[in-house]
Amino acid sequence: MKTHWRILVVDDEAVMCESLAAWLREDGYAVDTASSGHQAVEMARTTDYAIYFVDLKMPGGMDGIETMMQIRRLRPDASIIIITAYATVDTAITAMKEGAQEYIVKPCNPEEISLLVSRIIKVKNLQRENTILRMKLTRQYHFRDVISKSACMRAILDLAAEVASLPSTVLILGDSGTGKELIARAIHYSGQRAAKPFVAVSCAALAETLLESELFGYEKGAFTGADHQKRGKFELADGGTIFLDEIGDISPKLQVDLLRVLQDRTFYRLGGTEEVRVDARVIAATHVDLRQAIADGKFREDLFYRLNVIEIRIPPLRERREDIPLLAQHFVERFAHELGKEISELSEGALKMLMDYNWPGNVRELENAIERAMVTCRGHSLTEEHFAFLAQNGAHAKGLTIPAGMSIQEMEKLLIVSTLQAVDGNIKEAAARLGIDRSTLYEKIKKYEIPR
Amino acid sequence: MKYLYVGATAETDREALTAIGSFLSAQFQLPLREMDLPSVDFAFDARRNQYGSIAVLELTSRLCPDDAIKLVAVTERDLFIPVLTFVFGHAQLGGRAAVISLARLRQEFYGLEPNRPILLDRACKEALHEAGHTFGLVHCADHGCAMSLSTRVQQIDQKRAAFCLACSRRLVRGVIT
Repeated sequence: MKTHWRILVVDDEAVMCESLAAWLREDGYAVDTASSGHQAVEMARTTDYAIYFVDLKMPGGMDGIETMMQIRRLRPDASIIIITAYATVDTAITAMKEGAQEYIVKPCNPEEISLLVSRIIKVKNLQRENTILRMKLTRQYHFRDVISKSACMRAILDLAAEVASLPSTVLILGDSGTGKELIARAIHYSGQRAAKPFVAVSCAALAETLLESELFGYEKGAFTGADHQKRGKFELADGGTIFLDEIGDISPKLQVDLLRVLQDRTFYRLGGTEEVRVDARVIAATHVDLRQAIADGKFREDLFYRLNVIEIRIPPLRERREDIPLLAQHFVERFAHELGKEISELSEGALKMLMDYNWPGNVRELENAIERAMVTCRGHSLTEEHFAFLAQNGAHAKGLTIPAGMSIQEMEKLLIVSTLQAVDGNIKEAAARLGIDRSTLYEKIKKYEIPR
Repeated sequence: MKYLYVGATAETDREALTAIGSFLSAQFQLPLREMDLPSVDFAFDARRNQYGSIAVLELTSRLCPDDAIKLVAVTERDLFIPVLTFVFGHAQLGGRAAVISLARLRQEFYGLEPNRPILLDRACKEALHEAGHTFGLVHCADHGCAMSLSTRVQQIDQKRAAFCLACSRRLVRGVIT
């Protein structure tokens, strides 16, 4: 996976520049060249090079040290190697003091350069692994971690960044798998509450009484088995953010309780008489059309307006297809790392398949599809054959007969039944094909009373 | 019909050239042709007492016959690129021309007794390595593979005179077109 790391060689002597670049390319790295310090700085603005080889003596008012200093301002993590034919102790000291990782004298032994580059790349691989593991451990995400180039998503991210520092309640709307929790986490970790807890609760995953005790906690003896006092998620999120996912699925009683918390910032633990005061910012999310739910009498209008202070609507993936290549490449790189596979690219045919597919399960379905394809891939790039299951998914969907007048709920039930049949009742596989979490699938199976 | 060419400058050990030609022809299963190459003295750098491999490679590329799939040039001259102290060989990555030097493959370069089998073994491996680059292969992490990077002769001695399975697959999958 060397090609993931780009190298820039900067030297005013074309032959020097090209020969080193060619030598590094033979080693499998993606290498660009720049003939001046100015050009190198411009290239560093647009491309994140892992290593820069910079010649010390260059004309044009910007020598190697100045070039290195400007690059370091733009790319503090870059490794810069100063190369020179005229080594002096003074220049070596200056270069190292200004942040050069190494200082080498040309001509140098091939082994020296080879070991130097592989040592730097090894450290960079470890740093990247460390970052990924730390992010996984704390599940902290920022807006820069949201991968998108679509104008509508950029507008959403701008809005989310603006509201991050406000205490206002946020309602995130979007289909399953669009990344509602990712946006909620980004809002939390970009605001003033970042150092405090982010507590996520899936309202659809729990029965009414369980959800109530989860959210508000309980006192000892509140119910059979309550042998000690337990603090609820609202208390755990004190000072931070509570993320209420699938808010559209909560019961009328809980809607009332929640309304009271939002209005008064106080609640009672189950079985408790003491009022508990919390300062938790509420971010709610749902895939349900809440306005329709209000019209149907299933959701309280007053709660909706309490939640809907700032509304963020995330479009489904099919409405921002320009993000598919970017996301697909991101997942390829991530899974290559996680699965320890040397897969670095998608063929044109595979990418076309991904672009043409409808992605009912959105980004999560794309993520699952890439992981599934990479598990079966034996080569270095993912091709159409690795995504053959997408065509099957499409075929299954086409095979469904949807009579006019069928409700969306009935259609959803039909799709779930058909998918479960296609995978012989395998929940994990069915959830992957549908592009939803296993817990969401279990909920829907329960909701539609689908026999298993 | 297309051929794999091997060429040598006048001073080059002809037995080594023949051994390299037969070996590469068998490895790539391509018909072989030999050709003579002019002197590379023009690439001599008096300051370094070596020959610039970029210039030699450019010459090789210019002389590459129309019916050549690849041309691997062999010289006795010690080659270098400006940034490095020496190179065993040099190739156009994904191109048609490659050059190898026998100078540092000889035991006598390191003050040892001449050893013909060792020289021929190293020459064949180095030629296969540079030819691999012309077919688009890059350095391989498998130290036993002919495409692994060698910066010392000991590393050439340790690797096999063949590509590893992964490099062979890459070669078959798309490199030979």
